[in-house]
Amino acid sequence: MGQAGLDLLVVVGDAWRSDYLRFVVDVTPMEGVAMVALGRTGTTCVWVQHPAEAARWQQALPLAVVVCVADPATAVLAHLAQVPASAVGLAPSQVAPLSLAAGTLGETLAACTTMLDGLMVNKSLEEADALARSVRLADEGYAVFKQAARVGRREFELVADVEAWFRSQGCPENFMILGSGGPELRSMHPAGERRLAPGDLVTTELTPCADGYYTQICRTLVMGEPSQAQRDAFAVFRQALEAGIAVVRPGATHGDVAKAQNDVFRQHGLGDYVTSQYTRVRGHGLGLFVDGPHVLEGMPLVLEENMTLVVHPNTYHPVAGYIVLGDTVRVTATGCEVLTTTPRELFSVPL
Amino acid sequence: MRRGLISWSPEEMPVATLEARVSRLQQAMREQELGAVLLHTSFAHPAAVHWLTNFTPYWSEALLVVLPQGTPVLLAALTQRVHPWIREVSHLGDVVTAPSLGVSALSYLGEHAAPGARVGVVGLAALPWSTAQPLMSSGWGPLLTDVSELFAQLRQPADMAELRLAARAEQMANAALKASPVTVQSTNVWASAIEAKARLGGAEELLQRIAPDLSHSPTLQRLEGDFPLGEKRAVELSLAYKGAWVRVTQMVCSGPQPASWLVAQNWFERACRSLRAPHADLSLAGEPPGRLVNWTLQSCMGAEPLQVVASDTGFALHPLPAQALALLTVHLQLADGPWYASQMLVLGTGDNDSRRLQDVAGQ
Repeated sequence: MGQAGLDLLVVVGDAWRSDYLRFVVDVTPMEGVAMVALGRTGTTCVWVQHPAEAARWQQALPLAVVVCVADPATAVLAHLAQVPASAVGLAPSQVAPLSLAAGTLGETLAACTTMLDGLMVNKSLEEADALARSVRLADEGYAVFKQAARVGRREFELVADVEAWFRSQGCPENFMILGSGGPELRSMHPAGERRLAPGDLVTTELTPCADGYYTQICRTLVMGEPSQAQRDAFAVFRQALEAGIAVVRPGATHGDVAKAQNDVFRQHGLGDYVTSQYTRVRGHGLGLFVDGPHVLEGMPLVLEENMTLVVHPNTYHPVAGYIVLGDTVRVTATGCEVLTTTPRELFSVPL
Repeated sequence: MRRGLISWSPEEMPVATLEARVSRLQQAMREQELGAVLLHTSFAHPAAVHWLTNFTPYWSEALLVVLPQGTPVLLAALTQRVHPWIREVSHLGDVVTAPSLGVSALSYLGEHAAPGARVGVVGLAALPWSTAQPLMSSGWGPLLTDVSELFAQLRQPADMAELRLAARAEQMANAALKASPVTVQSTNVWASAIEAKARLGGAEELLQRIAPDLSHSPTLQRLEGDFPLGEKRAVELSLAYKGAWVRVTQMVCSGPQPASWLVAQNWFERACRSLRAPHADLSLAGEPPGRLVNWTLQSCMGAEPLQVVASDTGFALHPLPAQALALLTVHLQLADGPWYASQMLVLGTGDNDSRRLQDVAGQ
């Protein structure tokens, strides 16, 4: 804030975009909107919308002034009218509301969001260590998922087993989607009521959180013995993942990591399936948010030591269906360390 | 951030119910001469769009456009690959890929809304700037008008489909709490048992706040890590089932239940019955058996699943109609420690007591 010439920073968050608040005050909102006014000096002020949230924030920030109000934005504006700060900033642009951003505060939104993004993506050694510690949850969580996947079980019952296990580990959050079926499967989605059937490809992306930091693993299994077509398709994904990870090093860009993966698909005549019609991203940054900077061809973000990301060539395969495979990696001085340890196999669940 | 089962069962939420809700909004739009109404939805603020369409975003954000006639259209930042899933779980007209919601809304309004017509926005002040900015800086900017109050008036009282879903959610939450073992020593084991039971029952989402040891602190905490459980503890479980959110609270004592808790429960049940629309007033229940630390009445009026509409401090006073679905929460400081309670209610009025949700819609 000092370097940016800011006296006061107003940070907004909710249960989805909790990352900016977690970064500046180390508290995660559960419900409603939370707004924090953080000065370079002086008392931190917090506005939330539920009494239970107010009590929780006050316990976490005993020196802060925590107020429960119906309309936090109006309260923030009233506060700003009373404080002597001359340079006030607002972030992040994703959730800052019109009522705060429509005036002069809005002019600071882009710069302040970029400032915080930069601080969050360039991790300290301690942050990268915290993320590495949380990888255990991803690997062991996938083992629970594999155990849960049985013919006849419904998709949401798999989620129940996994989420209960994460809770048993003190894990506060997990972003999880899955898919089950055959070549008709075009993406993953939240769990439905479909029952697993013999021959299904079952995909999942687990994104557990510990100490605020998310890690991710993507794997695919088959209900029963994989067909040769499924094995052949999976081999392309493994090759693409290995190619992507091979270029992760300081100085490389997110675009380079995406291109390395996509080139493998193109070599196999599957170039159409790395377009936005079939896939979203080839990975993304990881940290205090589940979906950090995207890994896409042309993305100029330059990798630096201790950045963390998931590399995943997840996409639709015209013969086998939607396949996912992804690992969390940490950029090192000379390359990267693959943090997830689950084998890159097309797993088979005995019938 | 732990979405579980998301699905749409037309038996539980009939198309006719969704269409009736949209029709009521469209009737109000015609009366107010609104050319369109926009409703933003996100993981954290999904309730308004869900009420009209059954759509809940597990990811990203979307903007619902309601015109005076026709089925609502969803502008979705989710990629096109996900559109089949969106259609599977919701009742919508078109689904339009919209990487920038504000820009896409401009385009859609330009093609479909009457030129110069006012455009209502539910929660205009809270609209994310990334979505609002393109609209505000366009010719539509001066025509945007907040219609949160209009929407709130339509939103309650709850229809029977919503009451039944909420009753089912409350049953799930209570079953999960009953299944949690009393003798365990740590929050990890306790919370895991609750999570397993509720998720296997079909819960979409669970928020657990736990006060692990009431002799140490009364604060209901977000669970991050493991905490030893004391003799007396409290859990507040917020649960969503197919978009219907409820909240239940359980006080637990590993020894004999304190007599003070029974006295407090009796007072709380009187308080529940005594509530009357439109304005909650706890004084009708008589003096509480301890210090009333705080109370709230919560209901769904817009994008928040459970929004405080009345409280001890009066900071969010909003009238509710009779038959509204609401939640009363109370925090007392008894002589022997803190005590929490909550109850889902269907509000009474005049001579009619408020009734427990289960008594109205439980099966």
